[in-house]
Amino acid sequence: MTRPSDEGRLDGPAQDAPDSGRGGSGRGVEPEMDPQSAVLGVADLTRTFGEIVAVDGASLAVEAGELRAVIGPNGAGKTTLFNCVMGALAPTAGSVYLNGRDITDDPEERRPHLGMARSFQSNLLFGDQSVLENVRLVVQTARKGAFSLDLFRPHHDVGRDRAAAIAETVGLDADLGTEAKNLSHGDQRRLGIAMALATEPDVLLLDEPTSGMSPGATAQTAQLIQDIRDDRGLTVVLVEHDMDVVLSISDRVTVLDRGQVIATAPPAEVQNDQAVQDAYLGGMREEL
Amino acid sequence: MTDATAPDPPSLFERYRVPLGLVVLVLALRPVVSSDLLLGFEAIANRMLILMLFVAAFNLLFGFTGLLSFGHAMFLGFGVYVPAIVVVNGLPGLPPGGSLTFLAGVVLALLAVAVFSYLLARLIVGKGEIYFALLTLAVSQAVYFVALRDPGGLTGGSNGLTRGALPAFVEQSRGHITIHAFGLSVDWYWVVGAVFLVAMVGLWQVLRSPFGRTLVAIRDNEQLARAMGVDTTSYKVWSLTFSGLLAAVAGVLLEINNSGASIENLGVLTSGDTVLMAVLGGINYFFGPIAGTFTWLFAEDFLTDFEVLHLPTAEVSLVSVDLGPAFQFWQFFLGALFVVVVLTAPEEGIWGYVRSLSARVKRRLVER
Repeated sequence: MTRPSDEGRLDGPAQDAPDSGRGGSGRGVEPEMDPQSAVLGVADLTRTFGEIVAVDGASLAVEAGELRAVIGPNGAGKTTLFNCVMGALAPTAGSVYLNGRDITDDPEERRPHLGMARSFQSNLLFGDQSVLENVRLVVQTARKGAFSLDLFRPHHDVGRDRAAAIAETVGLDADLGTEAKNLSHGDQRRLGIAMALATEPDVLLLDEPTSGMSPGATAQTAQLIQDIRDDRGLTVVLVEHDMDVVLSISDRVTVLDRGQVIATAPPAEVQNDQAVQDAYLGGMREEL
Repeated sequence: MTDATAPDPPSLFERYRVPLGLVVLVLALRPVVSSDLLLGFEAIANRMLILMLFVAAFNLLFGFTGLLSFGHAMFLGFGVYVPAIVVVNGLPGLPPGGSLTFLAGVVLALLAVAVFSYLLARLIVGKGEIYFALLTLAVSQAVYFVALRDPGGLTGGSNGLTRGALPAFVEQSRGHITIHAFGLSVDWYWVVGAVFLVAMVGLWQVLRSPFGRTLVAIRDNEQLARAMGVDTTSYKVWSLTFSGLLAAVAGVLLEINNSGASIENLGVLTSGDTVLMAVLGGINYFFGPIAGTFTWLFAEDFLTDFEVLHLPTAEVSLVSVDLGPAFQFWQFFLGALFVVVVLTAPEEGIWGYVRSLSARVKRRLVER
């Protein structure tokens, strides 16, 4: 892809970065495994919107039990990549693999049944329903499949206890009867995570789980994500803007810039990577 | 609003208050509307129950799934026309006018509407809300014009089907209908009431089942439902199928009630009135369509027949005001009420007012 040449902050080294990121050359970037043999793999994924290339040949290979963060400055294509992986957007080119299976063409609603679930960046919830009913609906769907003509019993018989147990793991056990729209912002986020957990996923994708949270709530949520990963042996992919969250809890960090993966490495190495500092941390400093 | 699942399972009364309310409605409706203070005649109660069922069927789709149909009259029309055509013409081995012929027509109508609405839904449900509304309107207009053309002399064109359109078990004299079956004679109202109860309890069960809760989830947030693994298309398809089926049941009742099929049953005005009645009553509530239909039909008859307003304090004829001409425009007053409802409480409707009012009264009583 051609880049606007008037952009000063991405010169020489950054131009080479995509290749070194994907190919895993020197510069301390760990070589990535083959996307097809990873738990969650993305191979050369591209998504364009008309002229704009939002994701440009990105590849990822997330290993079982890994907690992977995907970071990048605003407009780097994080959310687009996320939506392509979850099937909310169709990629223009490239493939998505789950446990070695090519799921690129599986519709969005089948993916939770295949073992991957997401939380949303904005608080998408069934606002007029109680916390319990929000989670119960997902438990019901996970048990019954994408469609079921289950007509002959009352809904509260299906998945109630399981839903209450899941709500408890995210610390919402005191709010089971509260309407979702009346929860605090942080609790709504937690409910979103609980709903994703209710699909019994192998891979959990979280889109900016701490955005808009106070520092205290951010630390709590970071702890929660770590606990979930440790207790359930989940693979977690985290799209994050908050660097502190990323550095403290993730095993490896993938840095996205202008739709391309420019580095994948443990947090400490990413911090010291010159290309990353130029593209992302430099960008952060400019924003501040 | 749909009830939030409380952490405690609801009490027995809580659980069954809807069926209980429906029984009370059927028992009370006729004595209430036929009292001299109100409309003063009985037949309106039959019509009310039938249209309540029809509007409730429509609202399964609109209020509880989030799909607005502008052509629901076509499903009603299936229920009206298919039994009428069958009973007028007979079937092989079944003579015209026979009771069994009519029942065969009913079975045929329900089968036909189920297949028709399922296939129609598969075709149009994924097209987005506004296109769904336009496509239902277009298809229902197509059905209307087919019936108007009187294909093969079956539908009677603009005259509809009236001659010989009642089966042998129905006796109609001076506007009063009696059903004769198994050596019993039953007032038509109780037959309508029984069918109404069975159909409405069935609808209630659908809405409280896991299936029904998923419909509400789709209405509230389709994007989220899909991301959580719900095949939203299939749920919408079955919602439309059930809605069409229930509407056709109402159509069958209407056929007997009106002694035949009329082209207006298929018309766009019937579809439009349905939308207005549901919104007037409150689309978020199970009893919303019932309240809306009652208000609509009540206003229609009450205001049309209203001629002289006698102010109760004065017996002098000077203060008797002839309001008849003004009330001829009953739809104007309904329209005004409709505007008030939509501006102040869309989705809540009359039933929403009733609920919040009764909640306030209850709170007052508890405080004392």
